[in-house]
Order: sequence, then C-alpha cells, then structure tokens
Amino acid sequence: MVKSAYIHIPFCKHICSYCDFCKFIYNKDWVLKYLDSLKNEIDLDYKNEELETTYIGGGTPSSLSCDELEKLLEICSIFKLKPGYEYTIEFNIEDITSQKLELCKKYNVNRISIGVQSFNKSYLSLLERNVKVNIEEKILLTKKYFDNINIDLIYALPNQSLSDLKEDLDKYLKLDIPHISCYSLIIEEHTKLNNMHFKPIDEDLDYDMYQLINNKLTGYNHYEISNYAKPGYESKHNLTYWNNEEYYGFGCGASSYIENYRYNNSKNIINYLNKIYNKESEKIDLDEKIRLELILGFRKIKGINISDFKKKYNKDILELFNIKDLVKEEKLIINDDYIFINEKYLYISNEILINFV
Amino acid sequence: MNQEKIRNFAIIAHIDHGKSTIADRILELTGAVSKRELKSQMLDSMELEQERGITIKMNAVKLEYKGYTFNLIDTPGHVDFSYEVSRSLAACEGAILLVDATQGIEAQTIANYYLALENDLEVIPVVNKIDLPNADKEKVSSELIDTFGFTEEEIIYTSGKTGEGVDILLDRIIEKIPSPSGEENSKLKALIFDSAFDSYRGVVVQIRIVDGKIKVGDKIRFMSTNSVYDVVEIGYSNPKITKVNELTSGQVGYLCASIKNISDIKIGDTITLDNDPATEALKGYVPMKSMVFSGIYPLETNEYNDLRDALEKLKLNDASLMFSPETSKALGFGFRCGFLGLLHMDIIKERIEREFNINIILTSPSVIYNVYLTNRTMVEVDNPSNMPEKEVIDHIEEPYIKTSIFVPTEYIGPIMELCENKRGTFVNMEYINKTRVNIHYELPLSEIMYDFFDKLKSVTKGYASFDYDLIGYRTSNLVKMDILLNGEPVDALSMIVHKDFAYNIGKNLVSKLREIIPRQLFEVPVQASIGNKVIARENIKAMRKDVLAKCYGGDISRKKKLLEKQKEGKKKMKTIGQVDVPGDAFLEILSINK
Repeated sequence: MVKSAYIHIPFCKHICSYCDFCKFIYNKDWVLKYLDSLKNEIDLDYKNEELETTYIGGGTPSSLSCDELEKLLEICSIFKLKPGYEYTIEFNIEDITSQKLELCKKYNVNRISIGVQSFNKSYLSLLERNVKVNIEEKILLTKKYFDNINIDLIYALPNQSLSDLKEDLDKYLKLDIPHISCYSLIIEEHTKLNNMHFKPIDEDLDYDMYQLINNKLTGYNHYEISNYAKPGYESKHNLTYWNNEEYYGFGCGASSYIENYRYNNSKNIINYLNKIYNKESEKIDLDEKIRLELILGFRKIKGINISDFKKKYNKDILELFNIKDLVKEEKLIINDDYIFINEKYLYISNEILINFV
Repeated sequence: MNQEKIRNFAIIAHIDHGKSTIADRILELTGAVSKRELKSQMLDSMELEQERGITIKMNAVKLEYKGYTFNLIDTPGHVDFSYEVSRSLAACEGAILLVDATQGIEAQTIANYYLALENDLEVIPVVNKIDLPNADKEKVSSELIDTFGFTEEEIIYTSGKTGEGVDILLDRIIEKIPSPSGEENSKLKALIFDSAFDSYRGVVVQIRIVDGKIKVGDKIRFMSTNSVYDVVEIGYSNPKITKVNELTSGQVGYLCASIKNISDIKIGDTITLDNDPATEALKGYVPMKSMVFSGIYPLETNEYNDLRDALEKLKLNDASLMFSPETSKALGFGFRCGFLGLLHMDIIKERIEREFNINIILTSPSVIYNVYLTNRTMVEVDNPSNMPEKEVIDHIEEPYIKTSIFVPTEYIGPIMELCENKRGTFVNMEYINKTRVNIHYELPLSEIMYDFFDKLKSVTKGYASFDYDLIGYRTSNLVKMDILLNGEPVDALSMIVHKDFAYNIGKNLVSKLREIIPRQLFEVPVQASIGNKVIARENIKAMRKDVLAKCYGGDISRKKKLLEKQKEGKKKMKTIGQVDVPGDAFLEILSINK
C-alpha cells in the first residue's frame, strides 16, 4: 500500500559544491513547463490513495517565485491526506519569507525542512552557499508559522575542527528546533568539491564528530543513523523509506516504489518538460524485498521488529542470511522483540549491511 | 621453393629503440599490409604487448620483396627475455641490430649482439629514429664501430616513423644475410621455436624447416618426447594466416596436428617424420634457469584447477615458466612458480588475470638459496617458509650477478651509491665514449628483486639501462624474517634477508602493510620477527566510519549499488586469520624501500 508521495523540484538558484542530486539552474520558462508536466504525471499515476506523508524536495523548491510556489502547492493539493498527516517542503535559508511561509501554511504544509548545512560563513562559502541573510532570524521567522521544523547540518567539512562543529551544534540547540539531520560530508564524484580535489577528513576525527553530535543532542531521540528528533517529531516521511514501505515519486529523476516495483524517472529534464517520462522499472521480488527491509530497517536505531517481520514475510528474521552469526558476534543485538545494530558498530554499519546485498 | 631466395632474420634491439615500428614499416613496404590496415605495432598481437609497448612474444611473418621471401621473426627486448631472443635467433640466418640515434648503445644492445654472434648470425647494424631532432648519427655510429668493430659503410640509417632508409635496409638484407643452407632432400628436421594454444585447433607449433619438407597428412614425431601426430594443417602468417600444403627446408611457418596434450610439445625440440626419421635432433637450446620464485594462489580457492590449466597453457608459448603445486597455511593450494625475472613474473600475473580471468595472489618473490646444514648436507630453498630451523643451518649461500649498467657519466656517483646500498661490490667501469660508461658491480640477485629497477630509473632520471649475468653462489649472513598479522605468522609473507638489513626492512615492511591493509572492525597488530624476536610493530587501526549518506528522495537503488560495490571489493580480499588482506598486498610490499 502506497503511504507517501515525494515531489522533486530540480531547480536551484545556485549549485552547491557538494551536490550530486538531480538539479538545474532556475529558469523561469522551464519552471512553468515543469509544473505543467508534473501535474500531468501525477494525474496519470496517482490512484487517489489516502497518503500519510507528502514531501516536496529538491533541488530547491523554495527557489520558485510565490506564484510558481502557489501553483506547485495547488497541484499537490490533489493528494488525499490521512488525519495526522505530515506534509513537508524544503526551504533554502535565503528563500524564507513571510509570504512564502504563509502560502505553505495556506496549503496545509505542516513541516519545513531548512537546508542550513552550517552556521559558519566560511564553511558555507566552501559549500558555495553564499548566505547573505541572518540565519537565526530566518529560522525564528519560520518558527512563527511552523513548529515542526527540521534543520539539515553537514559536518566533516574540509579542515573543520571539533570546536567548529560544537559551535554549529550550540547555535542549533539555542534555536530550539525539534528535528535535525546531521550528515557527514561525502565528496561524491561529479561534484565541484571532488573536482577541486578535496579529500574526506580523517576517519577518526569524523568518528569523534559523530560522538560529539550524539553527546550534544541528548535531549533528542536518535532514531536513525543521521537523524535526531524531539519525541513525537520523528520524520514520518523518512520512516516510510526505512520501513521499506511504498511511495510515489514524482518529478524529474524521482523514484517510486509501488506494488513491488521500483520506478526511476529519467533525469533528462528536456524529456520531462515534454512530458516524456521514460520510467525505468524494476521488479522487487520477495528475496529483494527482504534484503531491502534489512538494509533500510537497520538504519533505524530501534532496529527491526521481529514479530512484525514474521507477520510481513512469514519468515523468522534470525534464520536469514548470517544473522545468527552476527548476533553471536554481537554485531546485531536482540532486545524486547527488536533486532538492531550494536551501537558500537552503528557508524560502520555498511560492514554489517553488505551481508544482505 | 628456391632456397636461394629466402632470407630469415630477426630484429634485435634494446627496449624502446623502435623495433616494432621498424617492423611495421617493413610490413608496409613489402606490401604485406596496406597503410590503412596497419594498426600501429602490428606484430605485437597480444593486448598486453600493445599496452605495455614491449614485445613479449615473438611472431613470425612471411613477406615478399623483389622476388625474395623474407621471414621476419620478432623478438622481445627486455633483460628478462634473452632466452626467448635466442629461441628466435635459432630460426634465423641474420639479425638487424637496431640502435636508437638519440640513445646510443644500451645494455641489451650488447647482450643481444652477443646472442646473435653465438648463433652465427650475420648482423646488420642500423641507427634508427634519425628523424628526431636530438638524433646524433655520428656519435651513435662511432659507438657501433668502437664497441662491435663494424665499419662505417656497414651502418644503415633509418627512421621507423618516416620510413626513411628502410628500403636500403631491405636491399641490404638480400645482399648480406645468407640464404638457408638446409637440404630439401634430406630427412625432415624442423625446429620448434614457439607454440601457442588455440581452443579450436589445439596446439599451434611455430617451426623452421632446417632440412627436408613437411606436408599435410605426414605422420610426424617429436624427437624428445617420441610422441607421434598426423599433420592436419600447415601455413604461415603474412600477417594473415595462409594455409599451404607443404613447407620445405629454409621456410618458416606453423603446423597443427590436433595436439591436445600440451606436455608433448617442448620449445627447441626437433620434428621429424615418423616413418623416415632423422638420426640426430637439432641442437636446440638449453632452457634458461628460473631465477625468481614466487607462489601463485587463486584468490577464490575453487579456481585452483582453472589456475593449473592457465599455467599449462601459458607454458606452451613460454617454456621458461616453471611451476609445481605447493600449499600455504595462509593461502591454501597454489603453485610455486619460477620466472626469468621480475618483469616475467609481472607479465605472467597479468596474463593469468586478463587472458584467463582468474584473480590471483603472488607471494613475496625469492631466489634459490643453497642452505648448508650442520650435518654437511645441502638443501636448495626457493620458498622462505621452507627455510630449515636456524639451529641446523651451518651457512647459507645466495646467487650473485654481475651488472652492466649503461649510464651517462654524471650519474656514476648515484649508481655507485645505489649499488653499495644493495650490498654491491664494485668491479670496474668501461667508457663507451667520453660521456657514457658501462658500470660493473657484483650484487646479490635478491637485491635487485625489489625496488632496484625503480631506484635505478629515479636516480638516473631514466637514463640508465641495465642487464645482468648470473655469476654463481656466495656465502651471506642471511636470516628468515616472518610477518605476523594479528599475532599469526603469514607464511606467504616470509622472506630471507641479510641480517644487517633486517631491522630496516622489517620496519619498512610493517609500515607498508599498515598502509595497504584497510582498517578492520578491530585493531590489528602487524609485526616483523626473526625467530621469536619481534623487530618491528605497527597497528592497523580499527575502522571508525563506514556508513551510507542520506537516502535521498527514496533513491534507494543507488545506495544499494554502493553496498554491492563495497561487497565486490571485499571479494578481492583474502581473509587471513580474521584479517581481510587485499590480493595486491603481497606484491605491493615489494615496492618497499630496503
């Protein structure tokens, strides 16, 4: 059963040096055509299910002008939402204005995710996010309209020290925002950072930073490797992914997971503007589905519920792969009907997850 | 076939002196291939040869020129392959000695020249690459005159690039190289100078008919193995494969006889007719002794049989490759292999991986040590892990070589320093001309196995050329050094070292291992020890970070691909004890600074 919808807006005013997602420089002519095609795609595929979450991400959805943003929200209002729904839109700090926030409010958006990345101007300029506004003021403005807010933070930046990170975290904590995603910088191929030959920071420092984050965010529920929330503010949309549940993906380069098929939309923007979607499909058979359940499920700190797994697949999770051995080696822990990665190995979880691919 | 009109010759040269390019021009000028068809360096057929720019396997090609038949037999140029050069030369009456006009005589120019003399060949000296702006024809020709006693008139000047002088060279071949002297009416004697395995035709044997003739349908006998076969196909390459019904004395070509049993074929063996055999075989040549030994193990243990198969097939056209089964505690079942030198080892490794698609591990290479025991017996040890206990050893001898290092005079100092650091003893120095010398040192063979070539290159900015001869065994103060991973000795990493150098080698080796073995889930000590005494130690730190970034917009397939790639990478590792060691580690440690 489809639980969520993701809508991709691939336009940005400026391309960040670390970004390897599907994105294009904002272009007014394209945006209108894009929204038109997006509406068409949704009309074609959406089967009127009641959804639990909607998420508008990018790119930078907030780079759209007020008129365009309203058009987008209008299109997305076609989604039927269950009571208790979560409806998120991503904002760039510079784009935050009362007008846009009010617009979101009007269309029932109830969660704002802000790509802050860092409070430190010199790291922001390294990431090519040249923020000319006061970050704190913009976040406080957002708080006037919304209480469910996420902030994205990137750490392990080139030359970043533990005390730099501590400063960022202190600034975050002072703002009293209920959700934070902390991602260690990965220098991906085909990014400006990679082209400029930046190298990842020392592995030990990276680990120490992760520990610092965990220690600073004690008032938060560390519910996924990189995500922390005040109780009740865990992202329902992300949980759809990690619980291996089904979702729609609309927009250029988006992926969907519907009735045991994965569909990947083409990243060709010209085709998309011309309403040619070229969805690549891949059947997810039972074996593959179980693998995904484990790879995604073990991202959650709480892990996978053993009884629920049994119910879903009619299989005992402990009998799969080498899970028994991993439990014996204390890489996986069983507690209270849940199986999860030993905290000690959480930050090297790939070493465990590769057993399931 | 009129034997008077046949010329069989090879091109011999120091590496990179332009041999393959000259061969291409000859092919073009004789019309064997049109310019359009000519892939650069036509004779280097193996993918690997073209990539490395060196010729490791010979090829014979038949050409027509001015009513004459030329059989051009290509030869390798590297120091490791002088044995193969002599195989090619045995099928020839003449040789073209090619020297680069910008470089002059180098170490293998001399080595190859003497091989040609040993085979009684007529040698035509050629100064090549005269199109280059820094070519110095006068200087190089005077080197040829002073070193080998050629006369000025004998020397030909060519450019493989522009083709200049190649026509003169072809005329000189007709004029100077003698025609073959065999008797077509005598009993068949054909020399096998190469062979290869073809999955459709079985073993393909390259032959030179010395006496008599051979026809399709003949029953032939291999004189050293006495095995008998029916000839099903005869032909030559021009350079397209062309089938014929017979080959007669003086001619060069190939034959197929549905030979599936690879061990029946020995390079250098003589083929005769089964019902009318020659009484005496041709002289053949003594296979060269392996100088470097290493264990070859499949990364996946179930590929052991495939590996044996690959080694057998490689041996077919590389008689110098030796192998026998062995086992290692760390690596399981594999083969002890003998090589002519390090490049030979490297090429075999790559051929196994590329042509046979088997991932392999090579253990630390070793020479053969003569180990004299206190009970007055001697054992030969080519695998450090088989070294007898210290208590029963009286003394150990190791092989020594004498070097020829050709180098501009300004590098004499660095060369001497390098050789002294490698336990070398200076012998003497010959001046080739005012600016270049040939330096002779005596060195333990084991000392050139590691980074000697790289060092030689770097201290002389690439200006040195190198060749060596084995001169015998000498007593040395040697010890066995073990490497321990996570407290467990790894037999495949044991090596024999000089006692005075052991500490430094051990220190460098463990630090190199720390670099190339990736972090593991737990901290892993790496130690070097002699007997029970640990002489160096480092720790491979525990892995701290290995985690997927944001699962963005549900793009889970990409994350899965990353995990798959990571898992694939693990497969290239060998688990020793509980430690994952990359297959390359065993070879990479060779680059340590001794």
